[in-house]
Amino acid sequence: MSLELKSDTVADPNYDDEFDAIVVGAGLAGSAAALTMANRGLEVLMIERGSSPGAKNVFGGVLYTPTIRELTDFEDAPVERYVAERRFSMLTEGDETAFSLRPGEWHEEPHNDSYTVLRGEFDEWFAEQAVEEGATLLTSTTVTGLLREDGRIAGVETDRPDGTIRAPYVVLAEGGNSLVSEGANLKPTETRENVAVGVKEVLEFPERDGVIEDRFRLTDDAGVSYHYFGEGAVGDAFGGGFIYTNDDTISVGVAYRIEDAATHDQSPEETLNAFKSHPAVAPLVRNARTVEYSAKTIPEGGADSIPDLVHDGAAIVGDAAGLVLNNGVHLEGTNMAVESGYHAGNAIARAAENGRVGAEALQAYPAALEESFVVQNLEHYKWMMDAVEEDRDLLFEDLPRAFADAGTEYFRIDRTPKESHAKNAKRAVLDAVGGWTGAAKLALRYRKVVT
Amino acid sequence: MSVQPQTPDLDNDSMEDRLYTVKYDDPGDSHLDVKVEDVCAECETNDCVRVCPANVWREGEDGVPHIAYENCLECSSCRFACTYDNVVWTYPERGAGMTYKHG
Repeated sequence: MSLELKSDTVADPNYDDEFDAIVVGAGLAGSAAALTMANRGLEVLMIERGSSPGAKNVFGGVLYTPTIRELTDFEDAPVERYVAERRFSMLTEGDETAFSLRPGEWHEEPHNDSYTVLRGEFDEWFAEQAVEEGATLLTSTTVTGLLREDGRIAGVETDRPDGTIRAPYVVLAEGGNSLVSEGANLKPTETRENVAVGVKEVLEFPERDGVIEDRFRLTDDAGVSYHYFGEGAVGDAFGGGFIYTNDDTISVGVAYRIEDAATHDQSPEETLNAFKSHPAVAPLVRNARTVEYSAKTIPEGGADSIPDLVHDGAAIVGDAAGLVLNNGVHLEGTNMAVESGYHAGNAIARAAENGRVGAEALQAYPAALEESFVVQNLEHYKWMMDAVEEDRDLLFEDLPRAFADAGTEYFRIDRTPKESHAKNAKRAVLDAVGGWTGAAKLALRYRKVVT
Repeated sequence: MSVQPQTPDLDNDSMEDRLYTVKYDDPGDSHLDVKVEDVCAECETNDCVRVCPANVWREGEDGVPHIAYENCLECSSCRFACTYDNVVWTYPERGAGMTYKHG
């Protein structure tokens, strides 16, 4: 390690004033920004604190790819499987009530632009696309702060021997643990009610080939995206569990609010264990070997938590800008990271072409983002987190219980006529939601989920 | 419900084995610290300990959290969890700390 560092140090070129733009973080948002700017002829420096892009990154598991497909040749991308089935399960402690979709269309290219990926491989590939377009990638280098000159951001401080690197524009793509942006007072620290902790395991099955295909009813490159809510998933915490199939592994995890993790007795590791042990989940993950355990925080504040996206000399993108949509039905973030990096890169390229600096020169970025699906989706579901918080007991405990009871009752086999079972089943659900009035109120409150 | 569902037994790895799956380069110094020690002494909830997915924050016999930084997964939950804003969190330098192979 020390030898390596030493030779590294000797070979370290001085990058001061060599670049038009510096990108902090070579994750999806950073690489999208770098790729966009390099495409438009800018000299770009990407700085990654890990030993390679993706080395410090982790996510649930599905990447939505329409913008990546626009930005580069996606054919060679290291994807695991395309998503052929999406399944939403409500879990009580012992029951599962699920809704599953396997549309034929998803088997056809481009597979609804939904693929499971592993970030170690994918982020490295995506950063390479930016490098192939002319961007320079600097790994094992940590940005420790921003350089300000005459009140504007004029570069970064790093832990390299020659420390400071000046450039007219800085893109902050440092992820949810945004120490640089916060340290420079570009955004406040998010409250723990708005941040989730996620823990995940990548599991492999040493037993035999074909076990993933068998358990998840898959052929060839088809894969699944399973989501779990309710008491059986993460107890009475605000969040859920997931399973995604990779090529020869599966990703299993839970994510829930730090506020709940802090006030509950169960640790995140114990919550993951309990989820894996649920009667509906255990058969899917049994006899597996853990090949990686990982954890991360997820910014879930939504539209209200987006900080000022542009500053004099800087733009904030991806998780650092809080661009995550997690409302239970839609779990998105990486696609929003790519989109924001793309728009920020375009805005900076335009400003550079016109020889302009300053926050107002970068206004094209927030303007484009507001017109895009990113902010429109976040705005559309802005109300939802509060509503879910208010209805938490109903949605995570009472309803899963009621649906399980209703299902059991509806299909009960005995010598009573069907009509009476159906009536009892209906009553189980109606009682849970507070009768017809309650059901109507609930339908009204959540109508935007489907409209 | 009268009948317990038939659930296969799961062999979950111990925390030690789980953390062993992640590559770790020791930066030599802790990238985690507390700002004011007295704040932790007065804190009764130790939320840092509760939220940490890697047992990096541990409650010592003195009731004060101790930091075993070597296994940190760099998720930053402790930083958000501490209601006293008493966690010092810096990135391990020059690529040190943990590395995910899959992610």
